[in-house]
Amino acid sequence: MRAMYMSDTASVIEIIGDHDEDDGEAAEAEFHDEGIEGQFVLVDGETVLGISGYREVDGCDGTYYLSWTYLDQEMRGNGLGKRMLNDVISRLKDIDARKLFVKVSDYQEDGENIYAAALGLYKSVGFIQEVVSEDFYDEGESQTILGLELKPQSQDIELADEKPVIRFNGLFEIAETEGAYTFEWIVEKSAGLFGKRSFSTEDLEIGINSIREQGGRKIFLTFPSNLVLIHRPLQAAGFKYVGQLKDYYEEGLHELHFSHDLEHFEAMN
Amino acid sequence: MIPIRDDNPQVAIPYVTYTIIGLNILAWTLVQGFGDEAALRASVCNYGLIPGDLFGSGLDQKACAPEGSLIGLFSSMFMHGGWAHIIGNLWFLWIFGDNVEDAMGSLRFSFFYILSGLFAAAAQIMSDPDSMIPMIGASGAIGGVMGAYIVLYPRVKVHLLVFIMVFRVPAFAMLAYWIGVQVLGGISSIGVTGGGTAFWAHVGGFAAGAILVLVFKDEELLLNHPYHGWKQQSDPADIWSDPSNRQ
Repeated sequence: MRAMYMSDTASVIEIIGDHDEDDGEAAEAEFHDEGIEGQFVLVDGETVLGISGYREVDGCDGTYYLSWTYLDQEMRGNGLGKRMLNDVISRLKDIDARKLFVKVSDYQEDGENIYAAALGLYKSVGFIQEVVSEDFYDEGESQTILGLELKPQSQDIELADEKPVIRFNGLFEIAETEGAYTFEWIVEKSAGLFGKRSFSTEDLEIGINSIREQGGRKIFLTFPSNLVLIHRPLQAAGFKYVGQLKDYYEEGLHELHFSHDLEHFEAMN
Repeated sequence: MIPIRDDNPQVAIPYVTYTIIGLNILAWTLVQGFGDEAALRASVCNYGLIPGDLFGSGLDQKACAPEGSLIGLFSSMFMHGGWAHIIGNLWFLWIFGDNVEDAMGSLRFSFFYILSGLFAAAAQIMSDPDSMIPMIGASGAIGGVMGAYIVLYPRVKVHLLVFIMVFRVPAFAMLAYWIGVQVLGGISSIGVTGGGTAFWAHVGGFAAGAILVLVFKDEELLLNHPYHGWKQQSDPADIWSDPSNRQ
């Protein structure tokens, strides 16, 4: 494998698009917006056979997501996919990366899960399933997130609880989904004695009702695991716990995933 | 033994707690002249609560001007006898008041506070109805706040300064110790004449607060609070262990 060049873009998009047209378009946009650093291609001479790579997660300590990983349809079944993955994992270890995650859909086409082979491949190189968000991409299409420890993580780190003032400042439909929304949130500086409070059940209900009015189907939220004030408002507003990405932000600091099914709740006042 | 802080996050802004603290400071500065002797004496007589005046049973031996004794039921809650008295009282209110207000909402908390103060006064009056010694201080009402706190947040850790060491103890242990001292003080004061600490006001306020909170607490507001009750696990995230709260 070698680093991807901009001149590889057309070949790479063709390989991805052959498998999933939407993914091809999304990958093209991503290469344009975020560049091709950390992207690698499997080549035979001048011919591009596959693509894989990684993107670092901002604000985290050595956390990466596996980026578009596709192999030319005609080259499948020869162990090349596994070779590409192991190559990327090896490169990440070389740069002292700590954890790698990958997202997989369970999209069905003609009654067949077209990502089943990919899921099996990820597990074969050591990825472990951490979170499954049901109906994430669309009704009946889940998102599975798998994680791979690139270096041993301590099991007994206990981080101090934090109580920052968290406020919601927007909402949007999650990319590549149909009707799945999330809230944007920020940590505000507390303004001393009369500082603002962190979000409450009522704040969540305002957002839930707004998404319902926009025709949203489901809401997904994620928070770091050391925020003690988030749980009761989320639970009271009808959110369900989905799972956690272990050691996502740093060792001992996980990413908690919550979802709210708008179709199964009455309108809130 | 001084509580420094509690491990109990404030969810909403405690407007009434801040207002009560402000009113006490205002009374101390504007009415009591920062403890100036003449102003202090006048304020204690005019705005303190004198059981003998209230029931007319001690008019012949009145220690102060009799006017204002009914007003004294309320005004005495905002009067203090010295710097240590006001600082101590307001410090306890600062530590514990915000979380009790969190559990009730500001309007209900204001009624709760006044009612606790009235029950505290009633308890002190009952201990010596003919007394001509003026009773002052927010401590009866603040005793009510502490009574509510022990019911609402018994397992929350309070950081206590003991000499030069800081210990983290559960609220129920710290407050049980505090009320125990007040009860013992009250018993030892029976039959003793002269001024001093109104132990029975503390006991009455504490008991009233512990009972009134059952009526005044708002379960909806408590839903926003990560720590409350005996059954609450130490980790707020434990609520997700209930299968009905999971995807």
